[in-house]
Amino acid sequence: MNKKIFLGLLFIIGALADTAFAQTAPAKAYLIDIWYGFYNAIVGDWAKNAPLFIEYVTKMKPVYLLVVIGVPSVFLLHYLIIGPKKFSHEGEQILYYDVFARIIHWLAALFFSLLVFTGLIIIFANVFGGGSFVKFCRYVHLISAFGFGITVVPMFLMWLKDMLPAPYDIKWFLILGGYLSKKKRPIPAGKYNAGQKMWFWLATLGGGFMLFTGFYIYLFNTSLETLRLYTLLHMLLGIAIVALFFTHIYMSMIAIKGALWSMITGYKSADEVSILHSKYYEKLKKKA
Amino acid sequence: MAMKFICDTERCIACYGCVVACKEGHHLPIGVNRRRVVIVNEGKPGEKSISIACMHCSDAPCMAVCPTKCIYKREDGIVLHDKTKCIGCGYCLMACPFGAPQFPKSGPFGARGVMDKCTFCAGGPAPTFSEQEKQLYGQNRIAEGKVPLCAGMCSTKALLAGDSEVISEIYTQRVAKRGAANL
Repeated sequence: MNKKIFLGLLFIIGALADTAFAQTAPAKAYLIDIWYGFYNAIVGDWAKNAPLFIEYVTKMKPVYLLVVIGVPSVFLLHYLIIGPKKFSHEGEQILYYDVFARIIHWLAALFFSLLVFTGLIIIFANVFGGGSFVKFCRYVHLISAFGFGITVVPMFLMWLKDMLPAPYDIKWFLILGGYLSKKKRPIPAGKYNAGQKMWFWLATLGGGFMLFTGFYIYLFNTSLETLRLYTLLHMLLGIAIVALFFTHIYMSMIAIKGALWSMITGYKSADEVSILHSKYYEKLKKKA
Repeated sequence: MAMKFICDTERCIACYGCVVACKEGHHLPIGVNRRRVVIVNEGKPGEKSISIACMHCSDAPCMAVCPTKCIYKREDGIVLHDKTKCIGCGYCLMACPFGAPQFPKSGPFGARGVMDKCTFCAGGPAPTFSEQEKQLYGQNRIAEGKVPLCAGMCSTKALLAGDSEVISEIYTQRVAKRGAANL
């Protein structure tokens, strides 16, 4: 009996010793484990989104080229085939932009234009030969971003109410703002038409998102994985902004004769407003 | 022919000699390390270390994403870049799997300066042995017929640099001599 207990104890001690030994003995390091260790320490989460980044960043340049050449060509065709809209600038004048709105608009416009052009120079850096000129544009891009960041806030607040979507905006989109015909029919639009609203939201909220992502791209103070994503989004949104930037310039300076003067003097003619902003004109008439 | 690095992790003792040799030999500014040592299982059984720099990829992703197209590949497989063209945008760092591109924070507003990375001690596009090449890229030991500094001074000869066929042959022989015990 004693012998059996003694043997049993021996087994238990043996088993304990065995587990104790297994815990202190050097763990067998397999080559594949070491390889995984190195992979995690060096490459890390590169495979998560870097292949996507590499694939799409290289594809962005031709898309930008298409926008830079394509959008102005479409407008040139529009100008040659359909032609600009002409309105009488005589007669009753309606105050559209007060002094504050004009100052804010032109300040934001200055910084925004600088951002668009320096941004395009950075994207097509090899065309400009890189080096100190493009590096200088990178610094201008940063300073303009600060300027735009300051002016975009009052711009957002002062136009927010008039830029809220309205049901007749859908109709405006369906007839593409009436820009495909020369007939002077009242076009469904409030103080700002659906195209202007689209541009407003893209420039303010989209611009805000560009400031946010650009901040990280400039300072590199987040993980590389996030940076890759931000860079892609920055470039993707940039395409839409460049396209609408050219549209804004064409519409205000060429497509509607004399429209530019409304942002300088602040007044639009009643003739123009009654056609291009018919809903707003009706409202004004009712009030009067 | 393709110039490559191999680091024999059975031999590397994490002495950081390669890092110091590279930094001193090329007079690199503070914060820029073209080469670094990565240690796994530090202080534990099975500790291993490896020395990492630009791997001079055969299909380098940094070359694909660079907006200035200033990164190029020499005929012998060494990936170099033109510092006079680089704008310091940092896309190469986002594309690199090894974290090789380095950026000194020397520009205005804490901006990144132009990229700096391992040149395989082959200088840069500036005229060979010119003062400009030395200033921008460091020594050109390949043109002098020498191996890169890091591999040349490696005390255990863990770090091998040269034609990929030659150094992989050396490494294969070492593995064969060591036998399967270490696998």
